[in-house]
Amino acid sequence: MQWSAKRIARSPLWLLFPIGVIYGTLAVMPLALIVRFSFAGGLKQYRAVLASPLLARIAENTVVVSIITTVVAVLLGYLLAAALWRSGPRLRVLLFMLVLLPFWTGVLVKNFAWAALLQDNGVFNELWLVISPTHKALPLLHNRLAVIIGMVHYVLPYAVFPIYTVMLSIDQRLERAAKSLGASDFSVVSRVIVPLTLPGVYAAGLLVFIISTGFFITPVILGGPADMMIANLVDFYAHQLVDFNRAAALAVLIVVVVSVLVFIYQWCPKEGQYGKA
Amino acid sequence: MARREACESGRTPLSSPASYRGLRVSGRCLLLLACIPVFIYLMLPTLIIVPMALTKGQIIQFPPIWISVHAFADYFKDSQWIDSTIISFKVSILAVCIACVAGSSAAIALHGKTFFGKGAVVGIILTPMVIPLVVLGLGDYLFFTYVQLGERWLEIGLAYSVLVTPYVFITVQAALAGLNPLLARSARSLGAGSASVLYHVHWPTIRPGIAAGAIFAFAVCFDEVVIALFLQSPDATTLPVRMFTSIQYELTPKIAAVASLLLSLASLALLAQAFLPRQRLSPR
Repeated sequence: MQWSAKRIARSPLWLLFPIGVIYGTLAVMPLALIVRFSFAGGLKQYRAVLASPLLARIAENTVVVSIITTVVAVLLGYLLAAALWRSGPRLRVLLFMLVLLPFWTGVLVKNFAWAALLQDNGVFNELWLVISPTHKALPLLHNRLAVIIGMVHYVLPYAVFPIYTVMLSIDQRLERAAKSLGASDFSVVSRVIVPLTLPGVYAAGLLVFIISTGFFITPVILGGPADMMIANLVDFYAHQLVDFNRAAALAVLIVVVVSVLVFIYQWCPKEGQYGKA
Repeated sequence: MARREACESGRTPLSSPASYRGLRVSGRCLLLLACIPVFIYLMLPTLIIVPMALTKGQIIQFPPIWISVHAFADYFKDSQWIDSTIISFKVSILAVCIACVAGSSAAIALHGKTFFGKGAVVGIILTPMVIPLVVLGLGDYLFFTYVQLGERWLEIGLAYSVLVTPYVFITVQAALAGLNPLLARSARSLGAGSASVLYHVHWPTIRPGIAAGAIFAFAVCFDEVVIALFLQSPDATTLPVRMFTSIQYELTPKIAAVASLLLSLASLALLAQAFLPRQRLSPR
């Protein structure tokens, strides 16, 4: 009894004080303010936001773009993760650097580069003009395709790592066992490796989807006016319409949806059935 | 040549161990071949930035016909851009300092403890990573209209400190994983005070974790646009905000020059993290 009391007294829980102050003032208070603003006039703001045809269109655009981004990123990420998994130690370091450098490059730098690559007198169009018979530039920038190219590029490392982690935890003897029982290469991949990596694929997909729905900069730089996403709508309410109540109501709705997704992400298993990791 | 033969030998039937190895090599070749376009896609924007900055004239051309550093000179002569760069440094350094104190002290506080609700506490600490930036930006904007500090860069720095505290927390927690919690208790039983335990037991362990977290936090701050867009004022426009607004307007070699400087900063950070000394494990 005496011992435990002493332990509690000596335990450095006071070290949680700085983070408590920072989070209390700079995270809890701003979020509380958003909630308060969103309930100005009861549920009026929410009704106005939900009834607006703008929201329906932008929400649909956000979901469609995020789903396409997720599918493409997970497929490419699976390929990269498999290459990392199967390469020797030296090649693996090099490939890791290749995956990580874009990860560290800022989102602005990347988007600027894509804009310069895709614009009418950009690299791709210069090449296209050489081979095209009509000598007309392709409209590559300011459309949905450009947004997806930029978004997949940003989220690809986030897709690689969960899948790679699961692959590392696969017992390599399973593969040999399948082969010794007469399985072809194709069926080893399709019936042993892919099913064992599915938890990583789900985790990667959900993570990429959560990140994708929050994009703000890429739709502005690489997309056209029709490619606005949900984050841009908050900004639109706040800065163009100067209606902070509606912006707050929309922000609350976004937080609710994201919380549900994050909760599912926490709950879904992240390592393989035969995993050690 | 030998490699190609190894690839082709994979077609032999699956009976001997030698052919089994050949098969694996051939699969790997195919896999790496399939990955080449993906790696080109990943690297292309990074590779294109520096040549674009070296273009002569005011329009971005690729390949650059004339190599010129005038874009860099333009940037260093433009007082607005330099001011923004200084603001960005001030904001990021403030945020990283606060995050290092708050994040690492929280990691030490929770180290080796098991209590009901610890998972929830860790979850709360990590929450800023998943809240959409627009939501944080809007909230910070509303908050700082009530609590005015006078200096806008200070407000942006404080807003960022919450954003990057989780990164420091995670890296410090990882560094502490190698430290046996009993060491702190035995130091205390030998008469060390709280401060002395922190300095002699925890500090040497968490140093690499703090360094790694600080580098990452700095990179995040130096690239953040959304919160800064909400909090900006004419005398507190961060470098990313200035880049963001001018990219929408026009793509000039000057932006490419700034982008290539940011890119070299990111590469330095990546190298620093790759060569950071690994933390020492405590004796068992």
